Amino acid sequence: MQNSALSLLLSRLDFAWITSMHIIYPPLTAGLSILLFIAEWRWVRTDDEQWYRLTRFFEKLFIINFGAGVATGITMEMAFGILYGPFSQAAGPFFGQVLAYETISAFMYEAGFIGLMVFGWGKLGKKMHLFATANVAVASTLSVWWILVANSWMQTPRGVVFKNGFFHVVNWGAALINPDVTFAVPHMEVAAIELSLCFVTAVSAWQLLKKRHVPMFQRALKWSVLTLVVIAPLQVYLGDGLGGTVAHDQASALAALEGHYHTYNPNGSVDTSWEVVGWPNAKGDDMALAIAIPHVLSLLETHTWNGKVTGLDDIPPQDRPPVLIPFYAFRIMAGIGTVFMLLAFWGLFLAVRGKMAVQNIIDNKWFLRAAVVCGVLPYIAVWTGWWTREISRQPWVVYGMMTTAQGTSRMSVAQEIFWLVGYIGFEILVWGGTWYFFAKVVRHGPDMESPTVDGPMPALDPPEPHAVLAFVKRTKT
Amino acid sequence: MDGLTQIQSIITFAWWMVFSLSVVLYVVLDGADLGAGVFSLFVRNADERGAIMSAMAGTWDANETWLIVAGGVLFAIFPFVYGSAFSYLMVPMAFALWGMITRAVALEFRHLAEPRWQRFSDLAFGFSSLAVAFFGGMALGAVMQGFPLTHEPSTVPTYVGGALRFISPFSIWTGIASVVTVTLGGVLFVRARFQQREPIRWQAVKWCNVVFYLALAVAIITIVFSATIFPWAAHKWLGPNFWIWAIVLLAMIVAALKMRIAANRDRDLEALIWFTVALAIMSISFMATIYPWMVPGTWTIYSGASPPVTLFEFTFSMGAFFPVMIIYNAYQIWVFRERISAMGVHH
Ligand code: HDD
Ligand code: HEM
Ligand code: HEM
Repeated sequence: MQNSALSLLLSRLDFAWITSMHIIYPPLTAGLSILLFIAEWRWVRTDDEQWYRLTRFFEKLFIINFGAGVATGITMEMAFGILYGPFSQAAGPFFGQVLAYETISAFMYEAGFIGLMVFGWGKLGKKMHLFATANVAVASTLSVWWILVANSWMQTPRGVVFKNGFFHVVNWGAALINPDVTFAVPHMEVAAIELSLCFVTAVSAWQLLKKRHVPMFQRALKWSVLTLVVIAPLQVYLGDGLGGTVAHDQASALAALEGHYHTYNPNGSVDTSWEVVGWPNAKGDDMALAIAIPHVLSLLETHTWNGKVTGLDDIPPQDRPPVLIPFYAFRIMAGIGTVFMLLAFWGLFLAVRGKMAVQNIIDNKWFLRAAVVCGVLPYIAVWTGWWTREISRQPWVVYGMMTTAQGTSRMSVAQEIFWLVGYIGFEILVWGGTWYFFAKVVRHGPDMESPTVDGPMPALDPPEPHAVLAFVKRTKT
Repeated sequence: MDGLTQIQSIITFAWWMVFSLSVVLYVVLDGADLGAGVFSLFVRNADERGAIMSAMAGTWDANETWLIVAGGVLFAIFPFVYGSAFSYLMVPMAFALWGMITRAVALEFRHLAEPRWQRFSDLAFGFSSLAVAFFGGMALGAVMQGFPLTHEPSTVPTYVGGALRFISPFSIWTGIASVVTVTLGGVLFVRARFQQREPIRWQAVKWCNVVFYLALAVAIITIVFSATIFPWAAHKWLGPNFWIWAIVLLAMIVAALKMRIAANRDRDLEALIWFTVALAIMSISFMATIYPWMVPGTWTIYSGASPPVTLFEFTFSMGAFFPVMIIYNAYQIWVFRERISAMGVHH
């Protein structure tokens, strides 16, 4: 329970900072492990060395990212209790259990197989190694699903009653399969895949711009861009569905992210217009400068021409979320989603015209440059997506049932600043380290010399001459 | 909250054992890594420092997973304790977590860094290990002292009492005690992991002689200190069941002696194992002393437990995942059992 507005704001910032700095790693872990599995599977099936080289190269990047995910993730697990003690106590019977399922069924499971995946080259048979990779992919996907189930329950809590200060689970099924799960879980999962595809696309495009290992990276680029042709529209579809859930179950959140202040126009008709851009006025009760298109909001949220959408003026003042960040964060995310679709269609167009072949792919300079830029965008989309989601849920921590002010630990302002300043330093250290290593590995390029491994070899791992490989061995189990 | 059914009480007790086991495994496994880090602060040769890091390269991460497991079990099964104890311990936990982050990055940076930066990252590695050990020990000591809770109708009691309440002579002492103990584990680890002729192993041997007596003194002082200031400890130890505790003490002494003898005969692995045994006996008797409290005077394991514990999930996790995890961890340590040399690992 926080009494002052400043200390409440700080405790939210404390949490927001560490989650924002954690969420940039797990999606790549979850998505790239699937892509690694596919590439390795192609190698096992076709015995084509290029697939093997690609797998080994992207696996190095994977492991760097994985280490950063662990380094920032340990804090996350402890942070609920530290920063949100009363929330953890109240929600523990549901929320804590779900996170523990994640720990047990995803982290422990993953810890087992990632060791085999990293150290197993040359020690395991081909099929056994592929099996290990598959399990890493399954485990990290499970992890995404569990954590999103927990978070979705905070958005649309079901199956619980709040009594004696904590949530009693009366219906596990309803709590686990709450309304938000239907779209939020797949939206995050597909975001992870989309981010990873963009990552592979960007790295490959960069190599192609440098004319390095053209046949190999042509293959990686072509496959990931063509997969994006399916994945990018799918993500937009899922986002639209998620918007529908929000409109249906979280009226105040929808009003905030659409900057929708009034249910009705002054003349009594339903306000159906969608604000493209705008800026809240000084009193915070309307958009001061806005470009609005009539009927679009009703079409988007209710899929009818004149459907009624609850505005902020129908929400009690103390329950209204902030507008500015959700409004813009949402637009940035959706804009990026559209950009990915355009990129994918551009790629498709080039492929159909026969310009994506090994001999001419490097001529598409502008396409390749655009592809490199698209490596950064999904990170921004993931951030803005979470900011939309978390901030538009305010002032609730468990929507409609427990406010954030009730959920925070009783910390002093000095204590909160101590945490924030410390974590700004340490998380930037991790971030800097990760990108430094990424850059190093990408610049160095794939290892084309070492012989491919064909199942168990007599000797133990040969000494690794390259520092990155030594790092790789150290990073996870 | 109290009011658990009989079967729930039994499951809660079983979960508490699992929690304790995870904590003990973490302390025993990662403790040695931390100690080796502290020791590395006193190693002059840069290649040797690098070798210490390589020696734990394959295992330290898996060792740390036990901490995550302990945290997960605490949140799920004892949420009332999790939510109050952790906000009480915010400051020491922040330092320990920063230590863990730094340690991870230092381990990973080293081989890519230029010599100038290597010196820096070695220092970071050493000090972060020291910080994790010290603040971890301090947090444990602070928990033993208990903490005040709110009393508001129809809310769960939660921590009130400020950021610095965890500081006391006792918790500072347990911080120091923890550093000494892990350092002993660390030097034994270095002895066992390096080839006999390595100079760094000789340095560890010398250290071992001193740190052993230090650790002995620390153990005795901690026991006397606790008995003096904690009535619940004195009552148990000196109560009608004193003979059980006497046997436990004897077992601890035997393990320590065995360790000493093995060390003197250069049977390094054996010494490390006896150290582990002594530490495990100590941790388990510590838990038994506190029982039924989880936080003395504040939460018992039954009042801190989440009401809907079920047999199903216990069987699910214990039957399926814990054994796999333990086997995997053991397999890993087995894979990395070979002794190494400072030059051999550093390329
Ligand atoms: C399982 C739960 C969960 C998950 C997966 C996330 N969060 Fe969250 N988030 C919370 C649970 C939570 C919380 C503990 O419930 C907070 C604290 C205050 C609040 O209302 O919700 C919160 C607050 C919070 C805030 C501050 C909101 C505000 O100030 O209004 C931001 C910006 C984020 N989070 C961002 C993220 C990001 C980037 C995440 C990606 C990992 C994320 N959250 C995942
Ligand atoms: C905000 C709550 C979160 C908490 C408490 C949390 C906790 C953790 C922890 C402790 C780890 C390290 C585990 C290990 O050592 O293997 C981790 C990693 C991971 N997290 Fe999170 N996390 C959170 C948010 C998320 C979200 C939103 C996602 C999914 C999109 C996610 C997906 C993952 C995945 C896939 C991993 C495994 C990969 C890795 O270890 O790097 N986490 N998380
Ligand atoms: C036109 C495209 C998109 C639309 C319409 C859309 C829509 C949404 C909506 C409505 C939310 C929920 C906000 C809330 O609960 O308050 C959301 C959340 C989110 N979005 Fe998007 N989105 C789009 C594209 C993307 C892209 C391209 C990414 C990343 C690659 C992304 C990542 C996320 C994430 C990480 C979240 C939070 C987690 C979740 O709710 O699953 N989105 N999005």
